Amino acid sequence: MELLRPSSVEELDGGVFVHGGTEVVPLLRDGLLEAETLVDVRGVVPRGVSDGVIGAGTTLGELEVEPSIPDALREACRLAASPQLRNMGSLGGNLLQSSRCWYWRLDYPCRLHGGDRCHARDGEHREHAIFANDFCASAHPSDVAAALVALGARLRTNRRELRVEELYRLPDEADRHTTTLEDGELILEVELPDVEASVYLKAMDRKRWSFPQVGVAAARVGGGVRIALAGVAPIPWRIDSIEALDNATPLPRTEWKLPLARALVGRALAQLD
Amino acid sequence: MDVSVTVNGTTYARDVEPRKLLIHFLRDDLDLTGSHIGCDTGNCGACSVIVDGVLVKSCMLLAVQADGASIETVEGISENGELTPLQQSFNEHHALQCGYCTPGMLMSATALLRDNASPSDAEIKKALQGNICRCTGYWNIFEAVKAVAK
Ligand SMILES: Cc1cc2nc3c(=O)[nH]c(=O)nc-3n(C[C@H](O)[C@H](O)[C@H](O)COP(=O)(O)OP(=O)(O)OC[C@H]3O[C@@H](n4cnc5c(N)ncnc54)[C@H](O)[C@@H]3O)c2cc1C
Ligand code: SF4
Ligand code: FES
Ligand code: FES
Repeated sequence: MELLRPSSVEELDGGVFVHGGTEVVPLLRDGLLEAETLVDVRGVVPRGVSDGVIGAGTTLGELEVEPSIPDALREACRLAASPQLRNMGSLGGNLLQSSRCWYWRLDYPCRLHGGDRCHARDGEHREHAIFANDFCASAHPSDVAAALVALGARLRTNRRELRVEELYRLPDEADRHTTTLEDGELILEVELPDVEASVYLKAMDRKRWSFPQVGVAAARVGGGVRIALAGVAPIPWRIDSIEALDNATPLPRTEWKLPLARALVGRALAQLD
Repeated sequence: MDVSVTVNGTTYARDVEPRKLLIHFLRDDLDLTGSHIGCDTGNCGACSVIVDGVLVKSCMLLAVQADGASIETVEGISENGELTPLQQSFNEHHALQCGYCTPGMLMSATALLRDNASPSDAEIKKALQGNICRCTGYWNIFEAVKAVAK
């Protein structure tokens, strides 16, 4: 394995990108990711915030104290991981973290790994999804992604511009990917619209430093209210209203997440008023 | 790959296997065994070190990613062989039992006090969030840090 350190987008030529490494390093170590070439993109991806545009290389630690960004994003960063990891982890890397499903992490030949069975559906799934969990019941772990989806943020990559929600796709029989990012596509910036008010609420196993059992982001943008949830579906999950929670399809041992989601969505909407 | 880092003021140049984690490089290649490995998964904080002024978990970083960096480990925080006030305070407040978490706790608290010499109780607790201790119940560690906060 080798590590390259390009200093411009033009120099990019294949390889696995690494920014802070807080996701890539454990995946490499556990053999879940193979790489001949690692590409340290810290010299290429912008870092810092100006005029509603956030460099994808900005760390969660920088964002949690950034006064100019909407409350929901700041709070999602503050409640993620631990101080050391927030010092290392980048915004772009956070959006692209892999499933935290323990079967996936232990390399079970499950559907997300290309197999023909979801071990979690039949097995242990307390942490798993209550929406879109038919094929893969993994629960998306990113607080930040839910916040950005609710805020209506857009991404700029080296190839295109897209809404953050367009970065994600549900895995299916034909394609097991949970993002639409292409090989060699690098996220450069996140652009935020004008947001009137926003909030992020998170239920955790312990009070600090744990993945969301359920995370709820809500934002008042352009006169409307947008809601997105973390920890409830294989990808960040948008709902139109609190009533949409009636359409959830919890598994036997994820039913507990539904009243939790209801309470948090209710509270988030009340806080926006 | 060639890696050159400065650790506690001394520069080391080594040929490093790109897969090697920074914590293993520090412990095995440089024989700086003060930083501990508690979990190897970014959870416990025993491996915390300061890289270019930023507190990180050295089990989450490849040694090659730290090429060119200036690193501080627990071995480097004492001054002229004397324990720092923070280290003294850990001693006085019985802020360690088995000592496994201590290097990481010291680095997190050192990073905190550098940024903020008079942290509030909440700021101290927050700064130690990423460090697990299985012995002390945390209270004595908190008190030790609080005692040196101005
Ligand atoms: C113990 C632990 C607890 C955590 N808790 C939480 C939590 O509660 N909430 C939460 O939201 N997150 C949590 N995280 C996730 C953490 O926030 C992410 O690992 C981190 O933000 C990833 O950023 P990075 O720069 O280290 O990514 P890397 O590890 O460098 O990269 C991650 C992925 O993104 C790709 N990549 C990186 N940058 C780019 C880019 N600019 N363009 C395209 N691809 C890119 C990499 O190729 C890789 O696939 C936790 C992580 C750990 C280890
Ligand atoms: S939930 Fe998804 S990742 Fe987990 S076992 Fe099922 S298919 Fe695999
Ligand atoms: S060994 Fe690095 S966090 Fe536990
Ligand atoms: S003193 Fe034993 S783990 Fe903290």
